Amino acid sequence: MAKILIPTPLRHFVNGQDAVEIAGATVGECLEKLTTDFGDLRKNLFNDEGKLRSFVNVYLNDEDIRYLDKTATAAGDRDTISIVPSIAGGR
Amino acid sequence: MIQIEKEAWEVMVAHARAAYPRECCGAMLGVEKDGARRVSVARPMRNAFEGAQEDTYVLDPSEQLQVEKEARARGLSVLGIFHSHPDCDAYFSRRDLENSCPWYSFVVLSVKKGEFDHANSFLPNFDQTAAEKEQLEYSI
Ligand SMILES: [Zn+2]
Repeated sequence: MAKILIPTPLRHFVNGQDAVEIAGATVGECLEKLTTDFGDLRKNLFNDEGKLRSFVNVYLNDEDIRYLDKTATAAGDRDTISIVPSIAGGR
Repeated sequence: MIQIEKEAWEVMVAHARAAYPRECCGAMLGVEKDGARRVSVARPMRNAFEGAQEDTYVLDPSEQLQVEKEARARGLSVLGIFHSHPDCDAYFSRRDLENSCPWYSFVVLSVKKGEFDHANSFLPNFDQTAAEKEQLEYSI
């Protein structure tokens, strides 16, 4: 079971929990399962094509999964998955 | 609606003035109740843009993780992100919108000639194609 930390603005989609334990072999599987169990969360993380939204960065422990195996990154017990929005701007 | 407590607001303005003429950025922590966001702590963050910061800011994702942990430890939530517009009005630019996220309030502080001028808050949509203005209250 990996632990997925839920950012505050998304907690009301998961019955107010700040973290959800999910069984899955990879980070992608865990996120799929999470957004299947909590359907209203789905459009926050995935676009209509089923791809992670451009502003959604996912971390396994302290590592960005883009620099690991992306959504195929293995996730196991004691792993923590964090969802961090990518934010920037300019005038 | 987003309400920013005096102490937090002072930190935001001080951070914006100190960064001038560069853009500053940071996180706003607090609690959300009945649709109103109340910010009690402003957390300055590093502008991670590796170039001219006069018109660009980028949050450092590892610092975002850190801030999220700090918020949890204090029983607070990250409610929004702030950044400054040096010598420019506090509008939500196309680049602000395209690199935003619908989960947060985005407060923009206009700093003119090194002094705070005005501020606005915005709520971007899911597709990053539009942002509505949010009612912003702060105490000085
Ligand atoms: Zn901006």
